[in-house]
Order: sequence, then C-alpha cells, then structure tokens
Amino acid sequence: MLVRDYMTKHPLMVQPTMSIVDAQRFMGENNIRHLPIVGDGKRLLGLVTRQTLLVDPGRLGSLDVWEITRCLAGLTVQDVMVKAEHVIIVEQNATIEEAARIMVEKKIGCLLVVDDGVVTGVITEIDLLARLMEMMAARVPGVRVTVRQPNVSGELAKLVGAIAAQGWGIRALGGTPTPKDPSKWDVVVKVSNVPKDEIVAALRKVDGQEVVDVREV
Amino acid sequence: MSTELEWITEVDDHRIKTPVLQVEDVAISYETRKGDVPAVRDVSFDILRGEAHSIVGESGCGKSTVAFGIVNFLGRNGRIVNGRILFQGQDLVGRPQEELRRIRGDRIAMVYQDPMQALNPSMRLGDQMSEVLIVHRGMEKKAAEEKCLEMLNRVYMPDAANVMRRYPHQISGGQQQRVVIAMALLNDPALLIMDEPTTALDVTVEAVVLDLIAELQRVFDTAIMYISHNLGVVARVSTKVGVMYAGEIVERATVKDVYLRPYHPYTQGLMRCVPRLGMDKRSSFLYPIPGRVPSPANLPPGCVFEPRCDYSREECRLKRPALRAIEPRHWVRCHFAEEVAQMGWEPPEEVLADLATPAEFDRTAEPILKVSRAKTYYEAPSKKLLSREKLYVKAVDDVSIEVIKGETLGIVGESGCGKSTLVKTVIGMEKPTAGEFEFMGVDISTPVSKRDLSIIRELQMVFQNPDSTLNPSFTVGMQIGRALRRFKTVPKDHVRAEVMRLLNMMKLGELYYDRLPRQLSGGEKQRVGIARAIAARPELVLCDEPVSALDVSVQAAVLNLLMEIQAELGTTMIFIAHDLSVVRFFCDHIAVMYLGQIAEIGLAEAIYSPPYHPYTEALLSAVPIPDPSVEQKSIRLSGNVPSALNPPSGCRFHTRCPRKLGDVCETAAPPCQHMTDEHRIHCHIPLEELREMEMVVSIAG
Repeated sequence: MLVRDYMTKHPLMVQPTMSIVDAQRFMGENNIRHLPIVGDGKRLLGLVTRQTLLVDPGRLGSLDVWEITRCLAGLTVQDVMVKAEHVIIVEQNATIEEAARIMVEKKIGCLLVVDDGVVTGVITEIDLLARLMEMMAARVPGVRVTVRQPNVSGELAKLVGAIAAQGWGIRALGGTPTPKDPSKWDVVVKVSNVPKDEIVAALRKVDGQEVVDVREV
Repeated sequence: MSTELEWITEVDDHRIKTPVLQVEDVAISYETRKGDVPAVRDVSFDILRGEAHSIVGESGCGKSTVAFGIVNFLGRNGRIVNGRILFQGQDLVGRPQEELRRIRGDRIAMVYQDPMQALNPSMRLGDQMSEVLIVHRGMEKKAAEEKCLEMLNRVYMPDAANVMRRYPHQISGGQQQRVVIAMALLNDPALLIMDEPTTALDVTVEAVVLDLIAELQRVFDTAIMYISHNLGVVARVSTKVGVMYAGEIVERATVKDVYLRPYHPYTQGLMRCVPRLGMDKRSSFLYPIPGRVPSPANLPPGCVFEPRCDYSREECRLKRPALRAIEPRHWVRCHFAEEVAQMGWEPPEEVLADLATPAEFDRTAEPILKVSRAKTYYEAPSKKLLSREKLYVKAVDDVSIEVIKGETLGIVGESGCGKSTLVKTVIGMEKPTAGEFEFMGVDISTPVSKRDLSIIRELQMVFQNPDSTLNPSFTVGMQIGRALRRFKTVPKDHVRAEVMRLLNMMKLGELYYDRLPRQLSGGEKQRVGIARAIAARPELVLCDEPVSALDVSVQAAVLNLLMEIQAELGTTMIFIAHDLSVVRFFCDHIAVMYLGQIAEIGLAEAIYSPPYHPYTEALLSAVPIPDPSVEQKSIRLSGNVPSALNPPSGCRFHTRCPRKLGDVCETAAPPCQHMTDEHRIHCHIPLEELREMEMVVSIAG
C-alpha cells in the first residue's frame, strides 16, 4: 500500500512557456485541476492549479478590456505557477496513509509524486478514496456489520475468532475510534454469502461487544 | 466524452481516461520528384493510458510511417499534411522542432526492429545507457549507472553488472533487445513505440521478450504502440489492433474480435494465408491474396483493396469507403462488410484450379539422400599465441538423416543450431569433417568444385534472401537461362522457350524475362530464385528459409508454388524454416536440431504431439498463436544456445532443459530412443515418461 502503487503514472504535464490562456483551456479540456510544469527530463519547475490561474487584478494596469487582453496574452504559466520549492510533494515510496496525512494537514486534494526532482506521478484524494472503497469492499455484496468494542488489545481477535469459528471469510475489515468516546472502538466487518441473521447471532455472542449497525449491501 | 473513451479495459479504474495518444485523420505524404506520395491517409486511433495497441499489416502498408510521424522522424521530404496527433492532450502537428522537443521531451520512446543498429557499437553498454540519464536528467554518472543497473535487472538481464561493461557485439540478439528496451524505459516514458521489436529474434527468444514487454507494460503503466506483421505476436502483447492496408486502417477492434470475426475482406484474406499450427498440406490449403499492395503513388480511385478483393463490386471501384463502426468497438472500412461477413468465403474457381494436390511419396522407397554420422567442424583461431592446439566450432556434430524420394524433410531449431551448415555440407559448399554422404548411390562428401556436373545438377538450392542471391545487373531471363545452358537441360536454341515456360510456371509471365532484379518485389525475386533452382530439373532442392523474408500473403503463394513444383516434378526437398507452423504445414518429416545435433526426428504429426523431446516442447510453446481459443503451455528457455566451440558435456541441451533429470544429463550423451521406426528422440528421460507429456498446444473448451 505505497503511493507508487496507486498514483496515476505519466500525468499530463506542460512546459513552462505555455501561455496561461492555453493552460486554462488545456486543464478544462482534459478535466484536470492540477497541472505540473516541468522542464527537460520531467524535472519539476512548478504547479498550476485553477486558483493560480485566477490573475490578481493588482497586476493589471486598468480594467480596460484591451489592457486585460494584453496582460493575459503576455503571461505564461511560469509567471503564475507555484514554484517547485513551495509545491507540496510526496515520495513514491511513502505509504498511502502518509499521503493522506499530508493532504489532510495541508487541506489539499492532490500531491505530486516526485522522485529526485523528477515528476513520476500524481496522487489525488480520489485515488485515496478509491482505496478506502476497496478496503471496505464497497462493490462486493455481503453483510456489513459495525461492532463497538472496548479499546483494548485482544478485542479484535475475539471478534475475528468468532467469525473464523463459523468458517466464514472476512471480505473487509476496518476500525476507527468511536466518535466522542475514546474508550471504545468501532469495527466494521463485511462477510459475504452468509445470511444476515446468522451473522448477527454469532456476533451477539461475543463477550463485551455490541452490534451497533447491520446492513446488507 | 466521446464513445471511444468508454472503450476501457479495466472497469474498476476510476482514473480519467485521457488517451495518451490520439491520432485523428492523419495523412502523411512524402515529396518526391514525381510529386507528393500519400503514404498514409486518414488514419485514426487512440491509445489509452497503460494500454497496448497494435498495428498490423504487410510491408509497405505505412505502419512505420505512422510511427515516424508521431515522433517526427519523417525525414526531410516527409510531412504530415492533415490531421492531428494529440500526445497527452497537446497537438504535435505543425509545431517547430524545439517546441516539439519540449512537449514530447522524453515522454515518448521508441524501440526499433534491429537492436544492433540501435546501439552504438563503439561504446560500452553501461556508458551508452547512463548517457541517457546524464543528458536528459542531468544525473551524476555514479547515480545514473546505478539506475541503469537497476533497470537491467528489471528486464531480467542475466549478469547485469558485467553486461554494463561489455560492448554490444559481446551479447546476444535477445540480450541486445533487452538493453534497448531497458534504455527506452529509463526515462519512464508515457508512450513506447515498438517497431517490430522481435522480428529479428528466434522464436524462443521472442517468446521471452514478449513476456517481458507485457510485464513491463503493467509495472510501468506505459502505453505501447506495437507494430508487427505477425498477428500471433500481436495477440500476445496487446488487446486492440488496427489492421493497415495501403496506408489506411481497414479494420480496428480488439484482437479477439479481429481474429474470431474479421469483417474486412483483407483481414479475412490474411487469416487464410497463414498456416495455423497443426495444419498440414494434405488436409488444408493456404489461399494467398492475389495481386500485391498498390503503390501509394498510384492508388485505385475507390476502395484501396478493391483490385484484390473477391467481393469487389461497382460501388467499390467508384467510392472510397469510410471507416465505420459495424459493431460497438469494431470499425471496418468496407461498403459491404455485413454482407461479406454473412456470405462466407468460397475459394474462387481459378484459385482452386491452381492448387495442386500435394505429391504423395512412397514411404517404403529407398532413400535418395543418406547422411550418416556427418560432422562439419570449422577451425577457430586458438586463444593462445603459441599453442598448437586447435579449436573447432562443431557446427554439425554426428547427424544422420535419410530423405526418401519425393518427400519433404523440414529442419527446425534456433539460429546457431547448424541447420544451414548441414544443408551447405550436403550441397558441397562446406567441407565435411567426417561422415558419409550418399546421394542416389553416389558419394558426395566432396566439395562442389570437385563434383561431377551431373551431381551438381541434381542438387540445387533456394536461398533465404533473394536480394543477395540474384545478380543485380543481369536480367531475370539471363539468370535463369544461365543455369539451363550450364547444365545443358535443353538444347541451346530452346533455352529462351524453356525460360518462358519456367516463368509461366512461377506465375510470373513472360514480361519478366527482361526485367532486372531491382524491378521485382520480394516475392517475385524469390520466385526467380526458385525458377533458377529447378531449371536444371534437380532431384533434390535444398530450401534454406525460403519464405522467412516474405510477407504472409506472398509466403502462402510461394509455399503453394513449391508444392505445385513438387507435385509436378516429383522433386525431393529439404526445407529449413524457423516458423514451426509453416514447417508443420509443408513437411512430411521433421528434424529438430539443437547445437549441431538432432534432438528429435520423425513424421511431422508425430513431432507436434507428445511424446516430445523437451527442446521440441519448448519450441512449440514459444510459437505465437493468435487464436484466443487455443491454450498453450508456457515453457520458456533461459539463456541462449551455448557456443558450439565448447558444447556442454553429456546432453547438449542440459544447460537449458526444463526437464533435466540430474547428473546423468551432464555426463552421458543421451541415448537414441525409438518411438517408432521413423520417430527417434535423443533424451535420457524414459519413453514412458515422455509419452505422458501433455499437449503443448490444445484447443480449449
């Protein structure tokens, strides 16, 4: 589960001399929000996002339409891009949770994957959400049960043991601290091809744990 | 988004499917003194991220021109006259060189057919590889070399660290191609264009390289444009294919659809002229496509395939068909594709009349050629300066074969196995070191210069490369006539008439009498070569890869011609080829050679079904087969044919044998085991075990 496995390789990239008018159209046509600017050898020079393309009116001499056109025509992406040293990047050997942490902390939706100064890919929030979806086996039909258990070690083993004792397989498993109650832990398990009632019955028997949500998906 | 973009191979992929490459209505012309030559017209296709897309077609169909158009290597007189080439969303057409370089940068890489020509012979491999990184990325030499080493290991180069220090000529063809592929991948390109990358390689090496390409495509997520003339190869590496004919794409779909439901008459024709593995000449025919690819300077006004099409109608002659979707994800350029697909195909009368029934031969007859314990050694310079010890390249070492009158013996094996040397020794071009050679009861272990004219006359040869075997300054008529005069086949005043008869027999026509070799196509040259060989009405014709250099449709025609000659004249043939389907189709007996020795010999059908020699098994599993319903075992041989200078002890195949038993293979020469009288296998594995082998190629379902 490393960034290099889930990033989009060979992202669309452009050269620093592209005019911002072209860049704007390029991003629109290809439906992308982040455009790495690279020099020879795919070396990262900067990043253009939709925001950086919003030209600061302070740069314009006046709001005269000819003046605006003249100003825009002369601008290239290297004039407006976020310079390489300020671009937030991640290494391709980082874990995906590390990528997620950076994105959450910086409140950004996309990270450039840069290896030795060379752009090798991009990883976006969508890539990470797709992973979340796969980790929870969102597209596999089955019974999804949420179990609330004490936040002490050994509890998860009890739950898994109960499922294993029935000879069922676990399609997906994930856990997170219970909201507003740090002493508890919510675990979601997904089991396929077993009737809902049987699963609930089996999990109710687990000592000290509580089934808080059951649904067939 | 257009409908084409929905044509994705992986349903669960959420990423935006921007095609890496979009070619739209591209036309490429070459300026010549006679005006513009439209080499490529109206070509459109797209390659999605991480996808492999192939272009197939005969030579001269404009496949490479499209590739050169993409990377802008068209040369001084070539230019893109119409259309757009979008690479990662940016148009490449009509931009100045410097801007192109920046857009494309190092994001497109290309691998060419001949690896030797892509490598600098005077630089060590490590230096030329790291140069890519030093120049493009400004890397330090040390770091660049480490990266190159890592990449060489990635392409499974044996002993990579040592290879870095070698020169290109010191490694084999398969390894050279690996270096070229590794070099192309060093910059992690988004698009990799491969122009017939395995055509120059042996089947066994080809299979390994194809596996490698498929794996690298997955790992690097690189889009691949794969150019080939071989549909089997295409099926192994790619999912989609465009069939090109005379500069246009005539059909485009997934490989499976094209193979199982070809709509365009040209695609159908191509399928009919390639022998499938397992076909033989007694149960099936090859139907060559009549005519030849039109010159781009002189195209028919309507459909470009109309002059060669069996379904041609008035409309085809007048109106150019457009590439249209006949099914979802299946495009075809034909006015009547639906009807054509329903009608089925019956060979036209005149074609049927031409097809000869293959000659039967008397299996009990006395062998016309008997070779026993033949050895041909070449002397090699000793490595020591002051040594009297002589080294020998044992090109043919203890080979015994017998050929019955009227039959065809096929010889297969990788290059360097001594196939050609054996044939050359028989014909007297190489001096045998030992062994008995008996032809029609006469000893022929003498070189050709000392042979009696009557023997030379009875033994003739057809060579692989017709270009280099015809004298470029003599007309066709003179070259064929020379053989007639020399052997006094006919009286002097009948020579011209006899040449005409031969030309007609070769389906060339009398007009060819005064032509020079340069005015002929490859297939026509090969026909002249065959005519020259049979001019003396020989008993035995030795064919050394006569169809390897030819396109599939021409290959079918030449094979049919050889069969016809055999039926008419009762000629015996020895046929060398590396294409196992062709050998299976054409030959009665087959000998599998490995490193100067015979591994297995027997009737064709016996060779292609178990029990196999392990080497035959590996060869068969390497044959690229386009048929998706065929299941093929995957046995890959590692390494190369060892040097014949110092062959491995015991069984020569033991260094690469996947079924090696143990020490016995290394120490003792394998015994000759007789399956039947005719079928012998040289192997230590007991017969019972060999019999239990599974079929390598089987039809699924």
